Amino acid sequence: MACTHDHSCEEHDCSSEWSLYKHIDLPKVSALNEAVPGSVKSVFKAWEHRLDFSGELLRSNDGDTELLVFVPFTSDVKIKSISIVGGPERTSPARMRAFINREGMDFSDAQDMQAVQEWELVENLQGVLEFQTRYAKFQGVSSITLHFPGNLGGTTTQIHYIGFKGEATKLKRDTVGTIVYELRPNPADHKTKAETGAGLSHVG
Amino acid sequence: MVLEATMICIDNSEWMRNGDYTPSRFQAQADAVNLICGAKTQSNPENTVGILTMAGKGVRVLTTPTTDLGKLLACMHGLEIGGELNIASAIQIAQLALKHRQNKNQRQRIIVFAGSPIKYDKKMLESIGKKLKKSSVSLDIVDFGEEDEGKPEKLEALLTAVNNNDSSHIVHIPPGPNALSDVLISTPVFTGDGEGGSGFVAAGPAAGGDYDFGVDPNIDPELALALRVSMEEERARQEAAAKRAAEVASSQNQGDEQSSKSQDTTMADTTGASAAVATDAAEPMSEVDALLQQAIALSMQTPASDSAVRDTDMSEANNEDQDLAAALQMSMQEGEKDSSGQMDMSEVLEDQAFVSSVLASLPGVDPNDPSVKDLLASLHGKSESSDQKKDEEKAAKDDEK
Repeated sequence: MACTHDHSCEEHDCSSEWSLYKHIDLPKVSALNEAVPGSVKSVFKAWEHRLDFSGELLRSNDGDTELLVFVPFTSDVKIKSISIVGGPERTSPARMRAFINREGMDFSDAQDMQAVQEWELVENLQGVLEFQTRYAKFQGVSSITLHFPGNLGGTTTQIHYIGFKGEATKLKRDTVGTIVYELRPNPADHKTKAETGAGLSHVG
Repeated sequence: MVLEATMICIDNSEWMRNGDYTPSRFQAQADAVNLICGAKTQSNPENTVGILTMAGKGVRVLTTPTTDLGKLLACMHGLEIGGELNIASAIQIAQLALKHRQNKNQRQRIIVFAGSPIKYDKKMLESIGKKLKKSSVSLDIVDFGEEDEGKPEKLEALLTAVNNNDSSHIVHIPPGPNALSDVLISTPVFTGDGEGGSGFVAAGPAAGGDYDFGVDPNIDPELALALRVSMEEERARQEAAAKRAAEVASSQNQGDEQSSKSQDTTMADTTGASAAVATDAAEPMSEVDALLQQAIALSMQTPASDSAVRDTDMSEANNEDQDLAAALQMSMQEGEKDSSGQMDMSEVLEDQAFVSSVLASLPGVDPNDPSVKDLLASLHGKSESSDQKKDEEKAAKDDEK
């Protein structure tokens, strides 16, 4: 389900819509089968820079066109659509499969499991295509894993930009708040009702 | 301190009975594995290690990745040698074991001990390597034992297929006098890309990669401080000894008349005594040896009387603390320059008393021996003149008061 922009971007500020990249937990972003470790982080940037082909890009290892990208968010988000800008000359990915809220996936997991949604991708070198999601299924997303099984025929798969459109809620799925552990009990911290004199009637 | 889950693949094939590594290949390998388990669990408390055997009836997982060092060491007992190495399925099973690790945040690493010939061809190994690289599993290969033609090349090919950003390593260990584990300690298999070794104070000879004394100042600051202070003291002592050696060499060149043979005996005796006493832990043998040789050379020649005695003083100072030696040094230089330093003189005096007391305590030296008395007298004679100076100055001071 692809749709193109039917307006020019100068009138309508697209970049504010594609601002979910701000909510990505960048240090924890990881990818499998990337040629340069850590290069996956360079594909998450602002909408204006999506066509910037000069910087780093995400490339798969030579001869192997599969890629698996794990994207955690700092708060739960709702994803409306996804935009992918691939590489030139048939190095763009051909299909995309998304999994939600699963950590530590690898290729065998991705191949065996049923994806939440799959898309057939087309080459999107101008960055105007976006792929809509079934919004109901992408409501409380704390992490998304994108599996690109193959590309359009090249020897490696290249991705320059991955963008998410949607809303960020302030909630976080499963955060444990700051826990303070006591090494030694401090009686001052543990006043019981008896000590403070509440709840008991005084006689005399 | 990388958070890592490691699977160690042990070679327990028939080739491990060979004794070209002491005590046997298998034992050497077992020692190395024990050390690796200790190192990994110590470098990060959340690291997990698992062990599997590659030969025998088939690949068998002894423990899945666990933090329990006791369990790891225990399962190394009672392993049987036999069968043939099956490296391909071993690596695949190791990969599967790592996939099911409990903490998905851990990096994955496989360590393979390849002691017997590899029957797979290069292509197969390369495809295995590629699969590991795709799942970002690092691989360490320990090539030891059987030296088959083509084995190092095959293992190198496997390494290049797996290697991603230098996280995988290969170590070739030929048979030799050193234990397998000792050689391994200095390799990246232990030090883990240069960072893990610092936290591990090895039971083996090598200690700590990054920190000077194998002790992390953050963990144990007092110990680190004590080690550093003793190192500096030792260094200062060695420098003083080097200066003394230089002094002795220069005094050899002077060649004054010698008073009596007994001085030689005294010299030799005192040097011998100091050599005997200088078995302190801090005393370097080379310094004593050098002094001993100089003493012997001196007694061969006609050594200088004063300088010989001063050498005695110096050799006595071997047993004393650093300040005394430094003061002696200063007094030596002062005496040659013929300047009067009151402080130095007093310290020389101290030494006189000390020297005579030590001479008295030495076997074979009779303080009542006339030659020794002459020696002492000559010493005192020197100090007497300076004593007089001192007294005069003191008297002058008193007058002023």
